[in-house]
Amino acid sequence: MGDVILTMKGIDKSFPGVHALDQVDFEVKTGEVHALMGENGAGKSTLMKVLTGIYTKDSGTITYEGKEVEFHNTREAQDAGIVIVHQELNMLGHLTVAQNIFIGREFKKGIGIDDKKMNEEAKKLFDRLNIDIDPNETMSNLTVGKQQMCEIAKAISHEAKVIIFDEPSAALTEAEIEELFKIIRDLRKQNLGIVYISHRMDEIKVITDRVTVMRDGGYVGTLITEECTKSDIINMMVGRVIYEDPKQKSMVAPDAPVVLKVEHLNAGKMVQDVSFELKKGEILGFSGLMGAGRTETARAIFGADPKESGDIYVNGEKVIINSPEDAVNHGIGYLSEDRKRYGIVVQKTIAENSTMACLEDYMKGLFIDKKAEHDVTQKYVDSLATKTPSVDQLVVNLSGGNQQKVVIAKWLVKNCDILIFDEPTRGIDVGAKSEIYKLMNKLTEEGKSIIMISSEMTEILRMSDRIVIMCEGKKTGEIGIEEASQELIMNMATREIS
Amino acid sequence: MEKIKQNPIIKKIGFNRIVLCCVLLLMYVLFSVTCNNFAGLPRILSALNYAYFLGFLSLGVTFVIATGGIDFSIGPVMFCSALISGFCLTHYGMPVLLSLLISILVGIIFGCFNGYLVAYWSVPPFIVSMASMNIAKGVASVFTKTQSVSWPQGTTAEGWFRKLVKMGDFPVGLVIFLAVAVICSIILNKTRAGRYILSLGSNKEAVRLSGVNVKKWEMLSYIICGTLVGIAAIFYVAAYTTVQPGYGDQYNNEAIAGCVMGGTSMAGGLASIGGTVIGVFIIALLQEGILALGFTKDYQLIITGIIVIVAVYADVVARRRKN
Amino acid sequence: MSNNVSAPALKKKSVVSKLGGQKFIVFLVVIALYAFFCLMSPDFRKYSTAMSILDYSYYIALMAIGVTFPLITGGVDLSIGTGLICYSLAGGYLVLHCGWPTGAGLLVSVVFGIVIGILNGVLVAGMNLPPFLATLCTCMITRGLGSLCSQRFGISWPTAGSEGSWFRTIFKINVNGTQIPIGFLWILILVLIMAFVLNHTKVGRYTIAIGSNKEATILSGVNVKFYHIMAYAISGLFAGLAAIAYSAVFATVQPGTGAGFELEAIGGAIIGGVSATGGAGSIEGSLIGVFVICLLKTGLPYIGLQANWQQIITGMVLIAAVLVDIIKRKRAKV
Repeated sequence: MGDVILTMKGIDKSFPGVHALDQVDFEVKTGEVHALMGENGAGKSTLMKVLTGIYTKDSGTITYEGKEVEFHNTREAQDAGIVIVHQELNMLGHLTVAQNIFIGREFKKGIGIDDKKMNEEAKKLFDRLNIDIDPNETMSNLTVGKQQMCEIAKAISHEAKVIIFDEPSAALTEAEIEELFKIIRDLRKQNLGIVYISHRMDEIKVITDRVTVMRDGGYVGTLITEECTKSDIINMMVGRVIYEDPKQKSMVAPDAPVVLKVEHLNAGKMVQDVSFELKKGEILGFSGLMGAGRTETARAIFGADPKESGDIYVNGEKVIINSPEDAVNHGIGYLSEDRKRYGIVVQKTIAENSTMACLEDYMKGLFIDKKAEHDVTQKYVDSLATKTPSVDQLVVNLSGGNQQKVVIAKWLVKNCDILIFDEPTRGIDVGAKSEIYKLMNKLTEEGKSIIMISSEMTEILRMSDRIVIMCEGKKTGEIGIEEASQELIMNMATREIS
Repeated sequence: MEKIKQNPIIKKIGFNRIVLCCVLLLMYVLFSVTCNNFAGLPRILSALNYAYFLGFLSLGVTFVIATGGIDFSIGPVMFCSALISGFCLTHYGMPVLLSLLISILVGIIFGCFNGYLVAYWSVPPFIVSMASMNIAKGVASVFTKTQSVSWPQGTTAEGWFRKLVKMGDFPVGLVIFLAVAVICSIILNKTRAGRYILSLGSNKEAVRLSGVNVKKWEMLSYIICGTLVGIAAIFYVAAYTTVQPGYGDQYNNEAIAGCVMGGTSMAGGLASIGGTVIGVFIIALLQEGILALGFTKDYQLIITGIIVIVAVYADVVARRRKN
Repeated sequence: MSNNVSAPALKKKSVVSKLGGQKFIVFLVVIALYAFFCLMSPDFRKYSTAMSILDYSYYIALMAIGVTFPLITGGVDLSIGTGLICYSLAGGYLVLHCGWPTGAGLLVSVVFGIVIGILNGVLVAGMNLPPFLATLCTCMITRGLGSLCSQRFGISWPTAGSEGSWFRTIFKINVNGTQIPIGFLWILILVLIMAFVLNHTKVGRYTIAIGSNKEATILSGVNVKFYHIMAYAISGLFAGLAAIAYSAVFATVQPGTGAGFELEAIGGAIIGGVSATGGAGSIEGSLIGVFVICLLKTGLPYIGLQANWQQIITGMVLIAAVLVDIIKRKRAKV
């Protein structure tokens, strides 16, 4: 490990309603791989966005190569030698590898582009990285892993001194990760500073020199990787006191009937052989880290995405679900994590959104029975305590929590008995959160059954009767609430897969 | 200004629509002043003749645009309907009523074709439009062997259908057109079809995830459009006599112009039948006025083109401001 | 990872896919179509028929070369058909009625095309209008302008042999009574040039990049607006060149025509492998695709189908070509 090349000190950043970064310190030395860890929403990405000029900080200093700097966009950061390799790839599938790497700064030859030189330069980069990719290959023909390598090559071609990897391994196979690590070690040898953001505990142990842990937008501490254990890191990540009481025991009668049974569900890489049961009146928590395949599982069950194999039983009967239409007809409702895109039609009114799933029940002959529609919407506005002047309000004008209630109302109007809540409280303020919780408890008391996908540990522990834990597309554990603890769940969610 | 917009009566009718009405009146006054013998019934009737068939086209395309799609095969399809049904009438001796029904049927067939490709195969709507525009022209020419078709005059026994447009000097067509517009408005605002069409225009994925068969409803919007195009053909032949194969393109633009001017957003999800009706009247009056001022048809094309660009740009700017 | 093995394997595959790609298949289709029509009709085998196929092909091919650029950006240019008539009328009017030299008239055609092309570009890239709508409007506008330019009369550019008719020999020369279609040579040269532009210059590179992922291209620091406008300007330029071809090949140019030409050009390009959703395509593919259209256009009357069947079949073929593209992409996804 060499000298400190980059220091961030006392970084503070607020968004309306959220204190995203609170006096965060972070430093990178040349020739080290520095892991940045934390739960979803701990502020890792925000910190990196502040560093690369996507966000401007409210206060604090960034010192780079001995000088205080402030970047206004990624371009400036790039020119200074700080580059980020994104999780989602910004690639141009129709162009070749070399063309992608040098897009926007092609070598000229007369009036044309010197593709030959670009290929040679790309080849040099790949040689430096010790990877074998044909610079002349079309980008979309490469595997995701190789595309990632190209992104890295592109990053290095900017004469980078600090490279940030934002969950680089999320979409890679084991072999590709090995390859990636080899490259990272090479880069370390070349005295670059490397920031490595990841959820995978085993990777952190293998590749990094130091670990900085963040929690709830704050800096927790920095450890030397060699000297710490996995549980040390986990303790730092989850170390917060849970001020809301976790559920002590399951509220479900042991003999409650199974309303939904999923057997050996397969749908791509993110859903591999998932099986579980959901009992009547139960809240089944789905825990795991980002990219564990929970949303994909839910979407496959709901028929939103195609599945490869697996059986689904509703109330003991085998059902075939090929589209959301089928799922809804079997009484399954899905509340997406991305409300604006998949949950509500923002430019329509509350009433129109509420009856979206079962408009046929609110018809008078050929016409929509506006009065009945109005009444039923009002009923759920009242019972869910949605804050709105009228049911004719456009949904776009509601707050996040109230929008969520509109989506819930949609499924209640349809009388769905099985509800899948995908991150039900994301982007919702604290007050509205506890309201949603109360509502979920009320629903289960009324005999509805809920699958709750959540990345918030407190939410999982507070609400679930039983918890299914997923990791990298596989179910890695299932525990009752009585035996559940943060450490146990985190352990299962980060389990090394050999 | 804001105060006026908040007035409950104005809010009910819609501020934009009131502005459009004012534009319509202003245009009429302007043309009457600048141009001799523009004021008076004959000009109005002539403008109305134009407004009828254009209006039906515009109403039809409103449904398609509401889903976020586009159909610019409507003009040629209307001509295809008129030609095929007219040929059936004049060459195969079919009764008038049957011919008129055939006209609607042809429109529906094209609607199904377009809708199926767009909804079930996700072919880009502009490609489908382009293809069916030419297919319509081709079919019409092949069917009529590239001859024009003349529908019977109002004086003959078979010419009763011309009363659909006007009886004496009474504009029956206006009554029918407004009645159909009201029906369209009811379909769009009070039925499941309309609700889903508008909703999927603003967020197709959310509607699909609500368990709605979006493909079916998207296709339906094209079928409704096709039906109205068939009706437009009836009103075209009832107002004018001869239909020539190979034409009809210019009406695409005029129909879309009426629709977009009336406040229907090209991005989908937002449509106003009332606006479309006023928009169509403005376009029809404009065409009449341009001719009355002694300009040729060419100016109509150019001016309509510019109007569409301005109207769509206004929509783009308005949406950007909202976000 | 077994890199050492996979890289050459990948290379090999790409060569095969290049040979077996859409272009190659369409090329076979062109030959098959020609053979089919020859088989069906003795008249089709004549030299003069081949000449008339080529005559038709020039302006469609030129439009197709140009429109390939907006198509690759994920847009479309519907104004090229009526546009070319408009440009030809404008140039022709100046030559016939204002006494301009022929060369100047032709130049006016091209410049007019570029101006309308840039206008399209500004509407689409600068003002964010949907491409099909913006160009549908300029389609109507050019149609109107065309009639206005010629004062609603047809324009007969100088006929072969008369004064100022040298431009007709650009595409066809008469050697001892045999007509030599040198126009085809120019088309091939232009295809080579534009293929170079598409594949080896910034304009082409960014055209593909915009169609591939516009956001990512902006993030790479490319002046996307400028290059987006360029794509439409190229389309306009080639519509202008197509106007010259049209003027040179046909005796008269009638105002009000031209609608439908754009379908032939766009259809040709899409048959030749340009993706209807942008990002992919090639100039040479577009040229080959155009010949499918031209063969149908000239061939169908020889087997007893009226010329109008061609419109229907072109429409169907266009839909079929897009469906093939869509199904192919769906398969690739799975």
